[in-house]
Amino acid sequence: MLRTEEMLLNVGPQHPSTHGVFRLVVKIDGEIIKEAKPVIGYLHRGTEKIAEDLQYTQIIPYTDRMDYLSAMTNNYVICHAVETMMDLEIPERAEYLRVLSMELGRVASHLVWFGTYLLDIGAVSPFLYAFREREAIINLLTELSGARLTFNYMRIGGVKWDAPEGWLDRVREFVPYMREQLQGYHDFVTGNEIFHQRVKGVGTYTRDDAINYSLSGANLRCTGVEWDLRKHESYSIYDRFQFDVITRQEGDALSRYHCRMGEIEESLKIIEQAVEQCPEEGKILAKVPKVVKPPKGEAYVRIESPRGEIGCYIASQGKKEPYRLKFRRPSFYNLQILPKLLEGENMANLITILGGVDIVLGEVDG
Amino acid sequence: MTDNHNNDKSLPEQEGLDPTINQEEAPSENQPHSQAKSPDSNQKSDQNKEMDQTFDQETNNDLKEGNETQQQAPSPENPPNNSELPTQNQPTESDKEKAKKKAAAAAKAKAAAKAKAAEKATSAKAEKTEEEEELPSYNQPLLNKYVEVIKEHLGEDVIEEAYINRLSKHVPTIVTTPEAYYSVAQFLKYNEQLGFDFLSDYHGTDFETHYELYAHLYSLLNHQSIALKVKLDHEHPSIESLAQLWEGANWPECEAYDLLGIEFRNHPSLHRIFLGEEWKGYPLRKDYQPYDEEV
Amino acid sequence: MKGIGKGLAYTLKNMSKKQMTYTYPDEPIPMPDRFRGIQKFYPEKCIVCNQCSNICPTDCIDLTEKKHPDPSVKRKIIDTFDINFEICILCDLCTEVCPTEAIIMTNTFELAEYSRDELFKNLEWLDENEDNTREENKA
Repeated sequence: MLRTEEMLLNVGPQHPSTHGVFRLVVKIDGEIIKEAKPVIGYLHRGTEKIAEDLQYTQIIPYTDRMDYLSAMTNNYVICHAVETMMDLEIPERAEYLRVLSMELGRVASHLVWFGTYLLDIGAVSPFLYAFREREAIINLLTELSGARLTFNYMRIGGVKWDAPEGWLDRVREFVPYMREQLQGYHDFVTGNEIFHQRVKGVGTYTRDDAINYSLSGANLRCTGVEWDLRKHESYSIYDRFQFDVITRQEGDALSRYHCRMGEIEESLKIIEQAVEQCPEEGKILAKVPKVVKPPKGEAYVRIESPRGEIGCYIASQGKKEPYRLKFRRPSFYNLQILPKLLEGENMANLITILGGVDIVLGEVDG
Repeated sequence: MTDNHNNDKSLPEQEGLDPTINQEEAPSENQPHSQAKSPDSNQKSDQNKEMDQTFDQETNNDLKEGNETQQQAPSPENPPNNSELPTQNQPTESDKEKAKKKAAAAAKAKAAAKAKAAEKATSAKAEKTEEEEELPSYNQPLLNKYVEVIKEHLGEDVIEEAYINRLSKHVPTIVTTPEAYYSVAQFLKYNEQLGFDFLSDYHGTDFETHYELYAHLYSLLNHQSIALKVKLDHEHPSIESLAQLWEGANWPECEAYDLLGIEFRNHPSLHRIFLGEEWKGYPLRKDYQPYDEEV
Repeated sequence: MKGIGKGLAYTLKNMSKKQMTYTYPDEPIPMPDRFRGIQKFYPEKCIVCNQCSNICPTDCIDLTEKKHPDPSVKRKIIDTFDINFEICILCDLCTEVCPTEAIIMTNTFELAEYSRDELFKNLEWLDENEDNTREENKA
């Protein structure tokens, strides 16, 4: 029997596999993790504090920088919160453009996850393919909004721009292309034996644990909880589309992979239907006063972002700035379960488990 | 180029007032100048001023009603509406006097445009809210049920307030006493009828007279939401931790401790999660002074 | 082993496909019309209404006004106009509120400089920033 010694190991804060500035202090005995302590806050910019001095329109660019992989959903959540308070009716075309951009963003976000996750566990080339497809989406969104990541596209009561000429057709063409590529990914990765050995049965948790730790998104659905806000607490116009909520029963890293890949497929379904249903033309901005002042009171809304449930709480005093703005950031909640998952695991599984949670540090730290 | 875009950028010659619409602090010299440029804008703005007054009164009444009937957070340092009220509510003020007050005019022009744009919407909305005020919310029976069950099991005096928050998708909202907070939360989670097993959001707010904790709970069993709130003393905010009930409340409590200085008793590892232990002060408090002015 | 074989087949299939990478610094990347690059400023169009500096979420725009050189014209004109690109987040809100389109976004995105001081762009620089102005916005 080999004699081992306990030692402390710092993973991060600058470590490519932490996907940002995230530090993990692990106590290991040989190869086995005894204890893991996440240290966060390296990217804390005080968005909520800054927002207290800003008008609602000015806050939108800041939300881009929280979950920078799917900025459209962040844009939407604050607009949705203000619109809920003001009881605004959003024009049809604006709603469709919002849904299209959010779903494209969701596909792009899952592609980044797919690519980088496999990169983390040692497969280099899927990353290249995933980013190739993501580039196509980013180009579409750049055409629409004028920026590659920090879109700043939505406004209280609608969207900033109408779709440029031919944009909807290009989105329509993108769907079958993406389907074909997705099939390629399944050929390429899903059946791969090495991949299975790395992820199957790793980082398993139960349904009760998932609910208890307030997990959301694919992290919750991988344990068999059928819970998707788009379906079950429908916002915007999601009730008009046919799509399924992908769930798995196992609760391990592989099931999370399957959930996310399934979600790409479902998002493509939504995009396909939205392009067909989208009105040819129409207003893209509701009648909104130039200075937005929600009535006095408070509101909390939540929507489904690629990482889970993103919420926005606004306490308004009827002024043009919010009195208190709070984002419920899914990555922040999802990350809480990490120490529990890592305990007793092999050191080599650390990255597999961390990557499987799918965090964006801009969002964890707020 | 989109329609919207073109509309936004209409030339100043067409709309003389446009440049000053957005800001109170604008150099006031602009105002007379742009009015001079388009003579009919004077008339227009006077009309708008009247409209703006009615509009503001309407909204103010609206808000007041909302407050009396519904809620909640006693506004600490008066909302702007109240402070604006005196000036806005002087319909007898002659037009000449108004012309003198250039800065005020600028502000009013802004509101006028707003009123103009939102006139239809708000008048329609005002009617709508009045109607709603009469009708009980569709969630009222649920709220009644929750309150009844809680009172039955935990006593009459655990609930300070219970109302429907119409602004927030009609979510039933319960405010408990600090003493009963933990037991109410525990009850909401473990009662078979209620089963609020999912903690969706948990955060605190500094309302200057008191701190408030807001927990949005969801029942995956019954597909119902509830907002659980508690008001804390402003001097020494301290409350029983919910982390024993929901593991998911662990970090949000650390966040509230870090940024607001709310102490959670019996928390497994309360620490300053973002800023680090050496940080001075609690940034999200309203009286927070940045420690280092230079940074 | 079957899965690995399938994967290799996919890789081989992709080798014959069209190249997707850009040869960026050698060839410029064309950006779509709406791309938000460094602003271009038209001093003659500006009416000094201050809306851009008020809407700016990061307060990076500084402007001052002066009297019109012709004393018969009452209108104020722009004197200095500075954008601090250390903190500008290229959010496009300034161009959105500008009533006269005196400030617009261009397609220039290369902001790297050797010194931080050079990131302060003044009126002259912003006026001359014409390389990548969009067709529709050319004055």
